[in-house]
Amino acid sequence: MKETYDVLIIGSGAAGGMAAWALARGGAKCLMLDAGPLVDYDKQRVMKAVYDLPYRGFGQPGRFPHVVQASEFDANLWADEKQNPYSYSPGEQYNWVRIRAIGGKTLRWGRQSWRLSDYEFKCKDHDGHGENWPVSYSDLAPFYDRIEPMFKVSGRSEGLPQLPDGIYLNDDSRDSTCVQRFSDACKKRGITATKMRRATGTLAASSNILLPEALESGNLTLTPNAVVREITVDPKTGLANGAIFLDRRSKRVYHAKAGIVIVGASTLESTRLMLNSKSRLFPNGIANSSGTLGRYLFDQFYVKGSVIATVPEARGGKGGRGLMGGGGYVVRFRNVKEKQKNFIRGYALDFGSGFSPAARYFPLYGEALLNEMNETAGSGFSITTMGEALPLYENHVRIHPTLKDEWGIPVLHISQKYSANEHAMAKDAMEVGAQLCQDAGFQVIAQHSQMAPPGESIHELGTCRMGANPKTSVLNGWNQCHDVKNLFVVDGSSFTCGGVQNPTLTILALSLRAGEYILEQRKKGNL
Amino acid sequence: MKRRSFFQGAAVLPALPAAAQYGGAGAVASELPKLSETAPEAAADGVRTFFTSEQLATLRRLAELLVPALKERPGAVDCGAVEFLDFLLKASPAARQTLYRNGLDRLQAESQRLHKKAFAQLDAPAAGPILAPLRKPWTSAPPADPFARFLREAQDDLLQATVNSREFAQAMSRRSRSASGVNAYWLPLD
Repeated sequence: MKETYDVLIIGSGAAGGMAAWALARGGAKCLMLDAGPLVDYDKQRVMKAVYDLPYRGFGQPGRFPHVVQASEFDANLWADEKQNPYSYSPGEQYNWVRIRAIGGKTLRWGRQSWRLSDYEFKCKDHDGHGENWPVSYSDLAPFYDRIEPMFKVSGRSEGLPQLPDGIYLNDDSRDSTCVQRFSDACKKRGITATKMRRATGTLAASSNILLPEALESGNLTLTPNAVVREITVDPKTGLANGAIFLDRRSKRVYHAKAGIVIVGASTLESTRLMLNSKSRLFPNGIANSSGTLGRYLFDQFYVKGSVIATVPEARGGKGGRGLMGGGGYVVRFRNVKEKQKNFIRGYALDFGSGFSPAARYFPLYGEALLNEMNETAGSGFSITTMGEALPLYENHVRIHPTLKDEWGIPVLHISQKYSANEHAMAKDAMEVGAQLCQDAGFQVIAQHSQMAPPGESIHELGTCRMGANPKTSVLNGWNQCHDVKNLFVVDGSSFTCGGVQNPTLTILALSLRAGEYILEQRKKGNL
Repeated sequence: MKRRSFFQGAAVLPALPAAAQYGGAGAVASELPKLSETAPEAAADGVRTFFTSEQLATLRRLAELLVPALKERPGAVDCGAVEFLDFLLKASPAARQTLYRNGLDRLQAESQRLHKKAFAQLDAPAAGPILAPLRKPWTSAPPADPFARFLREAQDDLLQATVNSREFAQAMSRRSRSASGVNAYWLPLD
């Protein structure tokens, strides 16, 4: 008989990695299972020219119909869509973007690290929609304070209630002239543009920041290539007691045993695993007495290139250092002080400069097009909108009745549509963004409000949400299942709402807080 | 065949222990000769596998019109973009194959209707009215008309296939020493 671990952690990304860091260093014997392999970041990559790739950088046609982020350079890193299928109804395209490797999506995250505020945690108090989280900003703030230095987050403090400041490597770098002009245009309209707040360092992943220290403690057993099929339950106690998993390569089946189970396999994989964990006690999936497991799927909608402009002074190759380059972030300003008439919540704008606008933006072809592209090279200024999608009951995932993955595990059917609220927000963002560019003296060459399909932001959230009421939520304020007290879910699936902020920093904070809560409860003999 | 490169690498062998020369227990990768290699596309011509010869001729003329050579900058035809797209389309989903085939046939049909000759024979002014959809402003939704959509996609594809080609990189490296288009490639994960 193999060891029964104190804690089984499923998933090795931000959520699982942070839980392991807290628990293993705190003395708990942990087993971590992840569906993917251990990646050697140096040996796994070689430098290549795009023309030496088989498809000249286009990528193998049809390999990743839903992962627009995948390039031919990094195609081998993303989860294979044929091995890992899912479904959606016609007209409801959902782009589910996954990485299956130790470190998970932290191997490729955008590193944006923004705190949530009580505009999110207490969202219902502000506009009456949805549910408040069972935690407030003051509960999470001490954990944000500890995580930002670990991930060497750089940024600039602004003193805004809707975007709390953190512990930053102070970014006081000088903005380029075009960024300064845009920021000034924002300021004149009472809008704040700030520096990006992002994790720094060569690699800012779970696999280099969290897991090494957890392993060093001697309390973490890391098992890659372990595709977890279901969480097992002791029929006498109703408590989780481990998980069944398959070796990714051989498909041999194993049973890992533990006193506590933590799920951090990424938002939709965690919920899929729980829905697939059916037993006599939990016929609709583990910890699903409320029927809300799988419900309230949301994310942050993206409008990529909602405004494309050129900086006139930079045309003709004059956009050198000083004038062009760099970017920033327009902080959410809608529905903070004044209420909008046609939508609730808000959006942020991510802006960048110094690129060359794509050919499609010019109504030209041939020599005229090439000349115009040459003329505008390096003079581009773009805005991407990131807006809050409302958590709605009807947006959900469920287990597909017949479709299974490479390992014989039932897959998800995903159903998410953006509502009129999101569409109104996207239109407003486009109009505001274009106006700000014009105020800054830029020439707007394209604008639109066409949202990317749900999922494409890779900020999928909800489906296993926290809440004070066990009848309308799966988890309590400690990421602990209402129904199964030794089962915790620590990733983005636990979010009650998501704001416009990139979620990874909050996932890390929730997971650290849950991990330390588990240590404390174990000491007290409650777990 | 880069014989000289091979022998340059081999020349270091006598300085190594015997085991290393034969890849024995003492050998490490860095001590083995580095053999220079040449990608298939640089060594030989691709064989047409998807378009008909008439469609390929039409695509070649379209490539000349959309992405011509300009000063030191090679054009799509110089960069083998046409032959590359023939290969890429063969591997592409059916909807995209249909868009291209129908688009090229439509170019030919319009050329016959307006000028009573093949599109491949048209000069730039004569082709102008047929390519008019490319003078319409960009919209976030793709054009509803499949022919207009084809022209947009073909223009993007020809540009990308040109800029990402070996020929383009070689031509542009004469102007700039920056190694554009070089990136970290992820090897397959076991």
